[in-house]
Amino acid sequence: MSATQAIRRVFDWKVRGVRWIEIIGLVLVAAMIFSVYLAKAAAANESAEIASLERQIRQNGQRVRLLRAEVARLEQPGRLEALSRMAGLAPVDVHRQAAVTSLPELAPVPEPQPLVIVAPTPPAAPAPVEAPAAVTVEAAQ
Amino acid sequence: MSVQDPQAWDRPAPGTPGQVSLPSWRWLTEAMWRIEHSFGRARADARPEEDTRVRIFVILSLFSAVFVCLALGAVNAALLAPKGGVGWVRHPNAMMRGDLVDRNGALLATNIVHYGLYIDPAEVWDRQAAAVRIKRVLPRVSMTKLNRVLTGERRLIVMTGLTPGEKAAVHGLALGGVTFEPEDRRVYPLGASTTHVLGAADTGGEGISGAELAFNREIREAGAQGESFALSIDLRVQGVLENELARAVADSQAKGAVGIITDVQTGEVLGMASWPTTDRLNRAVSAHYEMGSVFKTFTVAAGLDTGAADMDTKFDATEAFVIGKRRITDFHATNEVLTLEEVYLHSSNIGTSRLAVEMGPTVMQDYFKRFGLLDAAPIELHESARPRRPIKWDDSTLASLSFGYGIMITPLQMSAAMGALTNGGRFIPLTLRKGGLPNPEARQVVSPETSATLLDLLRRNVVRGSGGRADAPGLRLGGKTGSANKLVNGRYDPTHAVGTFAAVFPVDGPLNARRYSILILIDEPGSYPRTGGFVAAPAVGRIADRIAPFLGIERRADPYRTAMGEKIPAFEDVAGDGR
Repeated sequence: MSATQAIRRVFDWKVRGVRWIEIIGLVLVAAMIFSVYLAKAAAANESAEIASLERQIRQNGQRVRLLRAEVARLEQPGRLEALSRMAGLAPVDVHRQAAVTSLPELAPVPEPQPLVIVAPTPPAAPAPVEAPAAVTVEAAQ
Repeated sequence: MSVQDPQAWDRPAPGTPGQVSLPSWRWLTEAMWRIEHSFGRARADARPEEDTRVRIFVILSLFSAVFVCLALGAVNAALLAPKGGVGWVRHPNAMMRGDLVDRNGALLATNIVHYGLYIDPAEVWDRQAAAVRIKRVLPRVSMTKLNRVLTGERRLIVMTGLTPGEKAAVHGLALGGVTFEPEDRRVYPLGASTTHVLGAADTGGEGISGAELAFNREIREAGAQGESFALSIDLRVQGVLENELARAVADSQAKGAVGIITDVQTGEVLGMASWPTTDRLNRAVSAHYEMGSVFKTFTVAAGLDTGAADMDTKFDATEAFVIGKRRITDFHATNEVLTLEEVYLHSSNIGTSRLAVEMGPTVMQDYFKRFGLLDAAPIELHESARPRRPIKWDDSTLASLSFGYGIMITPLQMSAAMGALTNGGRFIPLTLRKGGLPNPEARQVVSPETSATLLDLLRRNVVRGSGGRADAPGLRLGGKTGSANKLVNGRYDPTHAVGTFAAVFPVDGPLNARRYSILILIDEPGSYPRTGGFVAAPAVGRIADRIAPFLGIERRADPYRTAMGEKIPAFEDVAGDGR
């Protein structure tokens, strides 16, 4: 009973004969309409931007496809071979081919020679030019 | 809200007195007033529940129901929109057809936007000058068509398929009335290379030949996803094959040529070339040839597999083998009794004929069927042609079949059969799909032992027999030559020959090791000698030499040759004719 009374009181709460609840409702509806308008306007902007980006992507994609096709045309084996033969190139003869494992046979690693460190002679005379040559270091490759 | 005097409910409906309204209008206004007055009547009858509030409630419920329906409809459209319906977003990279790429991703075919050239003559200032200037920047335009459009009345198309460059050139003329419409076009950037494998697609985006037709649905699906479709072709291998084939054709002045490279373990086709490339016919799958001695491989395999012979079985080749009125002789008669191995290495027609007749028609037919020589080669390409099979299988036919006459097969069938023979005896359908068929139905053709024996025999044929020119250093290549004359005006004409070499490398290692088959067929070579050992074998050797690094095959020594290709026992071509 008190609940209905409370509701009735809310409904009876008026200013200049207009119910407050209606004024509040109108304000809320106005706010909602405005916010929906804002959201729609923003979304329209966004979708215009998205459309423009997608158009760019599509154009770039077409360009990429065009360039890829151009690369494929330029790199086709027949063309490359003709150009290489014109430049005097040919398939490598078997005797001039080697695997990584056969490198030691082809170019043996030289024996690392012992480091020869000549004892530095005491600088009796000012001979700065010869000083760096005093130490000989044979480094292994 | 009713403002009527409740007491006046039976007052006649207001109408302009003196003005006669139509009966239908009068009926409508009377009905409205009856509804209006019903509330007055309700109050008069002391039924206040039929009051304004009830009316408001009814209207409210009606509106609510309508709005709920709208809301449900909107939710349904937003969340459960069907594919392809309104609001469904296509894949951003979607195309009518996906790109075709090779197994390593190199581009083979793609779609590129081209432009149609339209001219509205009403907007062209000087038609003569316009025609001349357009022709200058676009030489391939038809002048008659251009003039017809320019002298016409309406906006009409002049030409389709302008490349972006051509479009820019015409656009740069800044002529009035010239417009462009974009159109998607299938482009094959490699030109004549791989043209037979790829085939073509029409302007509507449907494949009409080759792989474009064979994988039409999958290519379109890949395109809708913005993806590409990979073929089993390796462009590097294909390139070597094409270049070496062109060289072999130039060397032998041939009319045509075919080259096929396959992976014998998976059935993947790594390269397929048909020469001349200007011919639309794909000779690798659609042309029929009597291939000659390469068939001896299958005859010997059948003999070994059935147990009708072993490597030491003797065959009398001292004199011609006579069947009825027919005398079968050897190209280079040895006039000796030969073992089966010698029969193969000398390519003795007498020996294989004797073996075939001994085995009989049932066994021969069974083995030819098993090797797929009697059916179209199993591959996705719709062009794969059926062979021309012998009608009757009498002794004379058997003898012919044993050395590759009397049956015309496509080169691809030969490739598939060689694969079956050298991968442990499993016949695997060939495929252009990267990675091979998902679950291929391999059928056992010959026993693994026969396969191993034949691998060794093929290798011996290269180091000691007729295939010496095909040897590639360190690649353990084995193969069989084939030389046949073509039937011209009812007789076999030695000036119209077909030289073949069917090779496999490497032949050593376990039966399921990686192994590749190379088939080269030279059609009507003009140079002499016209035998397979001279026209086709050198190309096979060069191809193997060049593709081995791509396929990851290392050079190694075997019992016959060092890794560098030097001979270990000094044996030469025993017959010296490369037949």
